[in-house]
Amino acid sequence: MPPGAFVRVLFPTREKPREPGLLHIGYVLGGTQVGIIVAYTTSQPWPADLPLAAGVRLFTASEAAALNQSRPFILRLDVLAKLPLTPVWFPDIGQEGKGVIAVAPARLREELMEIATNLVRRRSELLEMRGI
Amino acid sequence: MTTPRKKEHRIPRVSPAKVAITLRLDPDRARRLQAIAEAENRTLTNYVETALIRDLARRDEAARVMTMLAAPGISETISPEEVERGADESDAEFARRRDLVVALWQIPDSD
Repeated sequence: MPPGAFVRVLFPTREKPREPGLLHIGYVLGGTQVGIIVAYTTSQPWPADLPLAAGVRLFTASEAAALNQSRPFILRLDVLAKLPLTPVWFPDIGQEGKGVIAVAPARLREELMEIATNLVRRRSELLEMRGI
Repeated sequence: MTTPRKKEHRIPRVSPAKVAITLRLDPDRARRLQAIAEAENRTLTNYVETALIRDLARRDEAARVMTMLAAPGISETISPEEVERGADESDAEFARRRDLVVALWQIPDSD
């Protein structure tokens, strides 16, 4: 699965984290031959009264269209799943294209990697500060 | 012939919301904790419980920064050599992303 791909995935829910959830488009950060880390996306708009969380990237209708998606969506780099590359989680993996909707261009990949790197740094600092 | 009824064990009177655990500590540490608990006007049990609740709250705070949901059976760590390279990545780009993926993979399941 190429890094930077937007792929059809049965992203697990917080309520049932061990089971495949509803079909979503996930963003592939990378992984191994057998498993990958996928970030969650949803077409549900971000609540207007909530400040934007650090790991959230909004995609406008035109940005979404450039990625073969019909609606604006939000990408949550703070909501991730480690999943094996099997049809249980990736229903189209056996088909041509493997369920990949689009691959982010290099510039976008770089931007998203920067967001994820900052989150990892912030998380590490928090753990260190709290003495965990 | 009837078998005699087994004597029923009495269930200790505890709040149904709490479970009892046995905690083994070395004597010096236990004495120290006892002294701190007394100084805070708490029982040792209450002090230990409060410390554990604080630790859970800190972990929850860290988990709020990033939530990781791990599928059953997926490995907990990966080595840098296992990370797959993208087709058009330069050496420097791949090195950065590889380090990120390894770091992300180490984040424990938030469940």
